[in-house]
Amino acid sequence: MTVDLRPEQDHRARAARLERALGPAADPANPLGHRAVLAADERGELLADGERALREFGLNAEFVPEHLGGRFTRADRLGQLMRAVFRRDCALGIGYGVTSFIAALPVWADGTPDQQARVGRTLLAGGRVVAAYTELDHGSDFSRTEFTAEPGPGGYVLDGGKQLVNNISRAEMAVFFARTADGPGSRGHSHLLVDLTALPAGRVRRDRRYPVSGVRGCLLGGIEIDGCPVPGDALLGAEGGAMETVLRVFQVTRAVLPSMVVGVGDTQLRTVLEFARDRQLYGRRLADLPSARSTLAGCFADLLICDAFASVVARSLHLRPGETSVGAAAVKYLVPKLLQESSYRLSVQMGARSYVRTGPYAIFQKTARDLPVVALAHAGSAVCQASLVTQLPRLAERGWRAALAGEAPEPVDGGSVYDLDAPLPPLHLGGLELNARGADSLAGDLVRLHTVLAGQPASAPLAALTGLFVTELRGLSGRALALAPRDRTVLAGPRAFTLADRYAHVLAAAAVAGVWWHARRTAPDTPAADPAWACVALHRLAGRLGLRPGPLPPEPQDRVFADLTARHEAGHTFDLFRGRLASGPA
Amino acid sequence: MTDTSQTTTETAETVRAWLVDRVAFYLERPAADIDVSAPLVDLGLDSVYALTLCGDVEDRFGVVVEATMAWDHPTVNAMTDHLTGLVSGDR
Repeated sequence: MTVDLRPEQDHRARAARLERALGPAADPANPLGHRAVLAADERGELLADGERALREFGLNAEFVPEHLGGRFTRADRLGQLMRAVFRRDCALGIGYGVTSFIAALPVWADGTPDQQARVGRTLLAGGRVVAAYTELDHGSDFSRTEFTAEPGPGGYVLDGGKQLVNNISRAEMAVFFARTADGPGSRGHSHLLVDLTALPAGRVRRDRRYPVSGVRGCLLGGIEIDGCPVPGDALLGAEGGAMETVLRVFQVTRAVLPSMVVGVGDTQLRTVLEFARDRQLYGRRLADLPSARSTLAGCFADLLICDAFASVVARSLHLRPGETSVGAAAVKYLVPKLLQESSYRLSVQMGARSYVRTGPYAIFQKTARDLPVVALAHAGSAVCQASLVTQLPRLAERGWRAALAGEAPEPVDGGSVYDLDAPLPPLHLGGLELNARGADSLAGDLVRLHTVLAGQPASAPLAALTGLFVTELRGLSGRALALAPRDRTVLAGPRAFTLADRYAHVLAAAAVAGVWWHARRTAPDTPAADPAWACVALHRLAGRLGLRPGPLPPEPQDRVFADLTARHEAGHTFDLFRGRLASGPA
Repeated sequence: MTDTSQTTTETAETVRAWLVDRVAFYLERPAADIDVSAPLVDLGLDSVYALTLCGDVEDRFGVVVEATMAWDHPTVNAMTDHLTGLVSGDR
């Protein structure tokens, strides 16, 4: 039977197939279930059966663009799909795949047809391409990179070391971020695409492994290279162009990785919900105590915030690529923070079970250890916050001023960034701008939506909540314009970092409100169209900023909690996508 | 011919003086301390900051410049040369 599936059906089918390939998480007989995942973690190994299953599924194809034979078409869908892996095991999520996705992005952006074809073939065959960026002495400050690629006979000579590179010991290829010119500056670095198997033995060591506190199965290794020649065609993109490419393409990863990590929060919440339904306290179930219910409903709402924000920004990569330098940094800053704080609150409900490494809820302590590592992976929160800081005054001057005056132009996509099931134009990595030039259409959309809601008596609660964020934006605007000169640079003080934090919350609120509003119009039967989640989500964001939203009415919180338990019983995911979990014996 | 080159010279000096002021503003140092031939990075302005400066240039002179302008023209003098052409051509 040859049925030409529409892309959306195809996407849901793929997500279901991936979930089936992993089998039921709770089944102790499932070789890919949580029991096996925990055992592998205790051994410090990546689950071999898991790697095999993902290879058979062809997960790498999800990272390869369609024209090269893969299935990577949409940033938002990649994030949502990968949640299945992150729900099961962060180590597999990072260790099988994500590193290849990160490494491949500069190749898709800058590579020659031959380089792209080689990387595409390697990945589609189940191979590994790794991203060799980190040097422990310099952290996220790539500009201080010491690893060099000097001109040599017939190409370049590589020299130096990289650390904390996932899978470097067993990868076929690597993308190196290397210094190609002396001195500071942003044109002194280049990407090199290197066939690791072709490097002369005796000049390379890549067997060092770094033990880590979370994702313990990941093979985080180092490579030391002592004067290795590589051919001239190893150069990826223009010489001196690597920093620019990084600032473009890592907008994709900054949006998509946090979206994937929503899966970790899903597993944590599910585990604690099960605990709360089993545990008897004061003659009733923990899940029936008001305080526990409130925590669980709140953590669920936080997951929906994370999903809405990450998905809207991932869609913006396709639709509003001029602005995502801001949105992606805000997502990579705020989503891990929300998930981390949620993890802590859930651990309080679990008590001792939150750190016991054996027994029925042991997966929780693993996810709690994995989460901080995954949150910092690739771009730390401080870096993302700092990059927001530098853009704040111009955002205030241009985007927010127009938004608050009701003069922001209506986006040409008609708000499709919020319509999570709407089709998307192709992703053009070269179209991602390094700087938003003060444009902020999310803020414009928020102000516009607030005005509409304020005119509808039935929407009074959401009008009031969105109004809090409009007022907050007005306050931020004045404070951003008043920032001292030094506070507009990466040397900014805590005051500027606070503004960046608050602004990220406003953007998240804009995403939540936009997703709910568009779902209400285009998909009224979906969970995203229910005002209850938007109400609880906005209330939480407002509360985090100290905006005094008043007491949360019981009705929306009860509805969110009822949705949570209904999903748990029906085996649905705790996100806006609401996929189906694998059930039954493996 | 003389007129044009004189205008260009004036434009160049306007641009240079403004850039010096701007760099001094961010560094919180007197304009007289800014070495117009030194790479911005050596003066203490990092890569991300250079992107911000491009925004200031756009707002002040009403021209669109690449976000990476200050990377490719890394001193006040080099930026002045680059911008003078754009600005005088525009006016």
